[in-house]
Amino acid sequence: MTGNVASFRNLIDALAAAPGDRPFITAWIDEDEHETVTFAEFRSRARGQAKVLREQAVKAGDRVIVIMPQCITAMTTFVGALMLGAVPAFIAYPNFKVESSKYRAGLAGVTANLKAKVVVIDEEFPDDMLGHVTLGEGTKLLRAKDSRGLDGKPELLELEPPAESLAFIQHSAGTTGLQKGVALTHAAVLNQLEHLAHALKIDGATDRIYNWLPLYHDMGLIACFMLPMVCHMPVVMQSPLEWVMHPETMLQIISEYKCSLAWMPNFAFQFVPRRTPRNRWAQYDLSSVRALINCSEPVRSSSMLEFQKAFSTIGFKGGALQSSYAMAENVFAVTQSDINQLAGPTRIWAEGQRFRSAHLIVPVAEGTPGALSFTSSGRLLPGNEVRIASESGELLLPGHVGEILVRSDSLFTGYYNRPDLTAEAIVDGWYHTGDLGFCLEGELYVVGRKKDLLIVGGENLYPQDIEEIVTSHSAIHDGRAVAMGVYNPDLGTEDIVVVAEVESEELLVNTVEIEREIRNLVVVGIGVAVRMIFLKPPKWIVKSTAGKAARSSTREKLLKEHPELNIES
Amino acid sequence: MTAEAQQMIEHIVQLIRKPGLTIEENTPLVSSGLIDSMALVDLLLKLEDLTHMRIPPGKVQPKDMDTVAKMFATAVRVGKPRK
Repeated sequence: MTGNVASFRNLIDALAAAPGDRPFITAWIDEDEHETVTFAEFRSRARGQAKVLREQAVKAGDRVIVIMPQCITAMTTFVGALMLGAVPAFIAYPNFKVESSKYRAGLAGVTANLKAKVVVIDEEFPDDMLGHVTLGEGTKLLRAKDSRGLDGKPELLELEPPAESLAFIQHSAGTTGLQKGVALTHAAVLNQLEHLAHALKIDGATDRIYNWLPLYHDMGLIACFMLPMVCHMPVVMQSPLEWVMHPETMLQIISEYKCSLAWMPNFAFQFVPRRTPRNRWAQYDLSSVRALINCSEPVRSSSMLEFQKAFSTIGFKGGALQSSYAMAENVFAVTQSDINQLAGPTRIWAEGQRFRSAHLIVPVAEGTPGALSFTSSGRLLPGNEVRIASESGELLLPGHVGEILVRSDSLFTGYYNRPDLTAEAIVDGWYHTGDLGFCLEGELYVVGRKKDLLIVGGENLYPQDIEEIVTSHSAIHDGRAVAMGVYNPDLGTEDIVVVAEVESEELLVNTVEIEREIRNLVVVGIGVAVRMIFLKPPKWIVKSTAGKAARSSTREKLLKEHPELNIES
Repeated sequence: MTAEAQQMIEHIVQLIRKPGLTIEENTPLVSSGLIDSMALVDLLLKLEDLTHMRIPPGKVQPKDMDTVAKMFATAVRVGKPRK
């Protein structure tokens, strides 16, 4: 199969070429409830959904928003829209883990920006959220029908979307209110999948993906839906919520279906072994897994090693641990570690002091006092180029830490309806990722994250969102709060720490009450708990020349004053 | 209050670890900011243990978990008997 992807004219052409009798999607609900559709059945159901959409006057170029739980109907609706040459986008479905007010604000913003022809929801979509789906003039709300009952055989004419036309929109990470719609062409998606299939040596006839990742996220949509669709490979999928509740089901599904490939964010590598009772590990068999890919930035070896150590006794091979640097703006992966490298991704140690003070990587031996460890995200995929640039835009040599810029044949065309943001992000053909990293011996190491993004339990949060809420408290000086993520090695994720200036020093006698009120505001506003709040006197926070709170300098000052927070991975 | 509700309250107190905090069956937990989404997963698991039910997470909204009383009502409403 590998090597054929480039011959497809578009994604529908790729789906049409799949062997009809091969299983495609297995939707796993629990031990008693699961459903498998073959490629032929999937095509037929997608055509059925395309007919329903066409009855709503959906045509080429129209946006179709899909807001449904993770299920086969959501996927056939998405592909049904593709068959009409329309441009679908998955949006997260409301659930108990997402705070309602945050979800509602995000939903209204995203649906308004896309100006969709149709918004497809399921029968059980909560009524209190419906008022927040922005239905502009000409937008229709459609309750999806189970695609099993739809007749997909007759005369639907599948359009031939040109390779350069928009295929779909995937939303970049971040709080929903700030989400940006990443517009991707068929050609960009196919180029990415061709490179990825080649790097991972995918064989659709023998490989099988396990997936719990949401379809509105690039790991779920690209690696676990588009890649298998184009490479004609089966996928066993469960809902992200079910996985979070019962991560042990991952072991159960991989064992039962002999899955060979999966992608996960960093925290999941610790979450699964810690949440699965040790006395049940022996029931499972992970020997079928040939690549379990960590797509976080940065990748942390300690988390991956914990997974390996836990499950090596049930057949998990150390060489299956892999890493990748991926982002929605590049469809998905920029780099991939070498799957033939039995020791897994390359790991190096560097002088901590030189890294912090001079942003320079000076390799040292493992175990050297004060050394920091970095895990490689692998080598560039074909068709991808990376530059490392200093703050002033100067190109840096290997071993120097700077911003990662990406140019590729799978780069997005822009943020949908946002030429302003597109012009900021793509300069002279290079996408400015905002991530910090360095190259060494042909491999890319990612050391910092997108524009101060906080990653909490796999969820990306913008510090600005938290700071805005904190400074809305009457005791806090306007614009004088900094939110930051501090890595918690016990959890494999970050804790949110906030430092804020009070309006006047007298207020510092009442910190307990103010802290409690701020915590409440943040949870109500964005649904996460702040681990620690440090209230400081006026003028404590370091300001930039523009008079704004300087996030990184303030962080350094706080870590210096409170060394107990300064934990490196 | 049932013994299970009492056990749930003890579990929540231990989870929050806030000195002097008193929680009752109708104390708001989510809307007051005492617990966040990661903790809700833990509470849903505890609820499954205490009720011997399997609770489909897709059918639970944050408001269903706002108080201990609402948690048990949710288990009755959407829970499936566990094997």
